[in-house]
Amino acid sequence: MTAKLQPLLNAFSLITLLITSSLAASADAQNIPRTADGKPDFNGIWQTIGSAHYDIEPHAARAAPLFQLGAFGAIPAGLGVVEGGSIPYHPAALAKKQDKQQNWLAEDPVVKCYMPGVPRANYMPFPFQIVQSPEHIAMSYEFASAMRIVYMNRPDFKAPVPSWMGHSLGSWEGDTLVIEVTEQMPDSWFDHAGNHHSAALRVVERYTHLSADAIMYEATIEDPEVFSRPWKLSMPLYRRLEPRMQLLEFKCVEFTEELIYGHLSKGADIAE
Amino acid sequence: MSIYRTGIHQFPILRVALVISALISGTAYSQQDWVLPRTIDGHPDFQGVWANNSVTPLQRPEVFADREQLSAEEFEQLRVKAEQIASDDGDALFGDGFFNAVLSGEVQSYDPATGNYDSSWMVERQLENRTSLIVDPPDGRLPAMTEQASTRLMARMSERRERPADSYLDRPLQERCITYGMPYLLAGYNSYYQIVQSKDTVAIIQEMIHDVRVIPLDKDAHIDDKIRLWHGDSRGYWEGDTLVIETRNFSAESDFRGAAENRIFTERYTRTGPDILRYEFTVEDPTTWVSPWTAVLNYTRSEDPIYEYACHEGNYALEGILSGARTEERDRAGL
Repeated sequence: MTAKLQPLLNAFSLITLLITSSLAASADAQNIPRTADGKPDFNGIWQTIGSAHYDIEPHAARAAPLFQLGAFGAIPAGLGVVEGGSIPYHPAALAKKQDKQQNWLAEDPVVKCYMPGVPRANYMPFPFQIVQSPEHIAMSYEFASAMRIVYMNRPDFKAPVPSWMGHSLGSWEGDTLVIEVTEQMPDSWFDHAGNHHSAALRVVERYTHLSADAIMYEATIEDPEVFSRPWKLSMPLYRRLEPRMQLLEFKCVEFTEELIYGHLSKGADIAE
Repeated sequence: MSIYRTGIHQFPILRVALVISALISGTAYSQQDWVLPRTIDGHPDFQGVWANNSVTPLQRPEVFADREQLSAEEFEQLRVKAEQIASDDGDALFGDGFFNAVLSGEVQSYDPATGNYDSSWMVERQLENRTSLIVDPPDGRLPAMTEQASTRLMARMSERRERPADSYLDRPLQERCITYGMPYLLAGYNSYYQIVQSKDTVAIIQEMIHDVRVIPLDKDAHIDDKIRLWHGDSRGYWEGDTLVIETRNFSAESDFRGAAENRIFTERYTRTGPDILRYEFTVEDPTTWVSPWTAVLNYTRSEDPIYEYACHEGNYALEGILSGARTEERDRAGL
């Protein structure tokens, strides 16, 4: 780094610091729950509300993919969770998205009960639980028993292998939990609307308490092979306030077996 | 399924670790200079990755009769034979298979028709001088099954023989990537656990098919009896420095050695040293066994991370098994 740039960067850091601290102040920093070591306490069971899992971009309501499902399967409208409203796809990647959206019921990995990946796991219409300790944060998702371990303050810990739920490295930025997620399988989608990525995906998540019972969740998405620039989605995570709330099982595989293996059962018509 | 998983637990050479002194004298070790670490909330700290790689079989082989431990001479023989088996590079030996092979001097393939995974898929196993994981009944063997349970098991076995692969429903839950059962006891194959603790919750992450048990630390009532789960409903509490977890509400399909929805499962986790987490469990089900039984496993600390075992996502084997069965049918019918 040249000496000339240094003061500029310092000024930039100061501005970032000011913005961060003003955000923290607006989050009522005094009243958020904290763990015994003074960190913001994200322990608990959380869930989003909304229709981002159908389509993260703004969308009107539309019909069910199978008419038999009637109103039950119809897709509710949503204001969208993508900053600026549209995902900045490269043209070829946009065409691919449109094609996937057309065939989403057949192609969406989540329909087959594959693990959703990040950030999608956080806005599936299922609760997830955070178990937080200083060194590791476990995120356990009711959907498909998906899970991930966030390794705190180990920036040099490389992903041993690519995985469906990715490799999560966490750190604290003031009262915000920042998690960098890399090495995800290229196959996962962002929603039921065909929004996709490649193996180059890098997600930076930010969790900031809005109050004791709400977290502002932001994810910055980078994938130069698919998008022309980084983009951001955000939404609140709400604490499930039911007394004695707990995760239950949604083992999921058992609900997809007829779809995946039914054609191979005795007596089923076998496609030649 | 599992063959698509890669990871450093699966090293190309089966190494036999000889953690003799640490394991044998697990309790004595703890008395010395080691102090039980505590979490930021003051609870005993069980956090980290733990391995269940012991060679000790669940049930005591009859040759040992009422002896809980091997003599020094027998242990030395065990060690020598174990090294031989390891260097032979034969078929993989899961769970009790390793100890049985050492005893008989013969490696028996799990799948004599095609051969199985070879030993390069296996982790290093740890030798203990115990003769069984079961500590109660004192003979180290499962208690007798009730008549009702034997009938149930016989019926299921004959159903399996008659319908080996008519549909996915005929295949074992493991092959379907639904569950390896609760508790998962099979040593030597993705048999790793990571524990993360908060003030009022313990998460036990099981590498095998990425299951997480999130256990609330309260003695409140279990969930409604109508909710039945593959892995049951768990409640934990501290009893001194031991974490006790009681689990019930198992589903009728949640098979564990012939027991299912009526079992009550009690676990006790205790750290007995820097590298040992003692795991004791008792299963009680008067509709399956004539008496409760208890086993003890010594989990050993691992420095490796937990890997993602994406079982279902790569389960091409189940399609292969079913389409193979259909092909055989067509061949038999001369089509």
